[in-house]
Amino acid sequence: MPLTQASPLPTLLVIPTGIGCSIGGFAGDGLPVARLLAAASGCLITHPNVMNGAALYWSDPRLHYVEGWALNRFARGELALAPVRRQRVGLLLDAAMEPELQLRHLQVADACRATLGLSIGPVVITDQAVEVRLTRGESGASWGQLGHPDALLRGAERLCREGATAIAVVTRFPDDHGSGALQAYRQDGGVDPLAGAEAVISHLLGSRFGLPCAHAPAQGPLASEPGLDPRAAAEELGHTFLACVLVGLSRAPDLIPLGSLAKAPPVASGPLDLLHPSRIGVVVAPAGALGGEAVLSCAERGIPLIAVEGNPCLLAVTAEALGLKALKVGSYAEAAGLVLALREGIAPEALGRPLPPLRPL
Amino acid sequence: MRLEALEFWLEAGPGPLLPEVLAALAAHGEPLRWAITAAESIGDGAAESGGGAGRSRLRLEAVVLCP
Repeated sequence: MPLTQASPLPTLLVIPTGIGCSIGGFAGDGLPVARLLAAASGCLITHPNVMNGAALYWSDPRLHYVEGWALNRFARGELALAPVRRQRVGLLLDAAMEPELQLRHLQVADACRATLGLSIGPVVITDQAVEVRLTRGESGASWGQLGHPDALLRGAERLCREGATAIAVVTRFPDDHGSGALQAYRQDGGVDPLAGAEAVISHLLGSRFGLPCAHAPAQGPLASEPGLDPRAAAEELGHTFLACVLVGLSRAPDLIPLGSLAKAPPVASGPLDLLHPSRIGVVVAPAGALGGEAVLSCAERGIPLIAVEGNPCLLAVTAEALGLKALKVGSYAEAAGLVLALREGIAPEALGRPLPPLRPL
Repeated sequence: MRLEALEFWLEAGPGPLLPEVLAALAAHGEPLRWAITAAESIGDGAAESGGGAGRSRLRLEAVVLCP
């Protein structure tokens, strides 16, 4: 298809999880930004942490839901994305979940089938408790450990054998009844204590099975919190965080290893436009969190980087510190304007002043 | 199979950072999730370039997969 001014500009939106990003570090509170950038670019690729608001979600054909491991491979030029009409989402549940929690999750899956028409199943329960542990790095970022990663892999393998084309995984996370970290997250903009472990789980399954994948934590209910930060409020709406994951995965693009493009099976519902990594036009990330694989891959491939200074986080890994070229903006609204300019072929330097005169080399 | 958490500092030379970071992580296992969580320029500082022109000291936090 020839490029025109109206052609989409595939844009990567990265808001790293578990580092307390002021925007996007909570319960799907990056979604308004994602919607804006999707409108500006016509094609936004972003990860579940940006899109997942527990019981809240947003579906838009311009928004592509790609788990972090696959997003990194896409940014490195190793994967293409093939939009599909629907995925068959297999559900993998941790054997450590109590019967009541397990029932709640199965009922959310049934609700998504009955009310939204999603294709969900099979359901597999791991043959052993996964034993998730939450940890913190020296930076304060949240991370996690798994006692039995093999149990997850065996369960996911069974889902694949039974025909799942995407994997929604729910593991039992330790309950937290009022730790300082949880209070900070719910009241005062602290770091999401669960996010790092969630990313480890979804990266593990994504890397092993090459399918769209996303995670929801299972926990017991928390006491109501009068001083709740609105950015964390989506997590108070229901008994689980699963609905957004099922909706996101239901239209997540297929992951096509570029080495196998020629022998990739056709999409059952008919070929849709393949998103090739050579088409990535720009990457957008918080100005202090540029030290992740997707951003570095794009920068080293010469893809323009927009660094958003208006989204502070725990880290100060800036363009200057890493020796990267970046277009700095104060807000995501400004980033959207810049994405639109790039989409229209307008040189970003023409939008600012002073505009230095050209000098012969 | 087990997951191992890592934290260490890496002195990165001039040039692209990503290959250096991935090589340093691969010495410990298969990188599953990682991030540079602190960065300091060394000596003449980090020049503006397409990726890590100056020398820098990087703190890496990661989870790697070990057989």
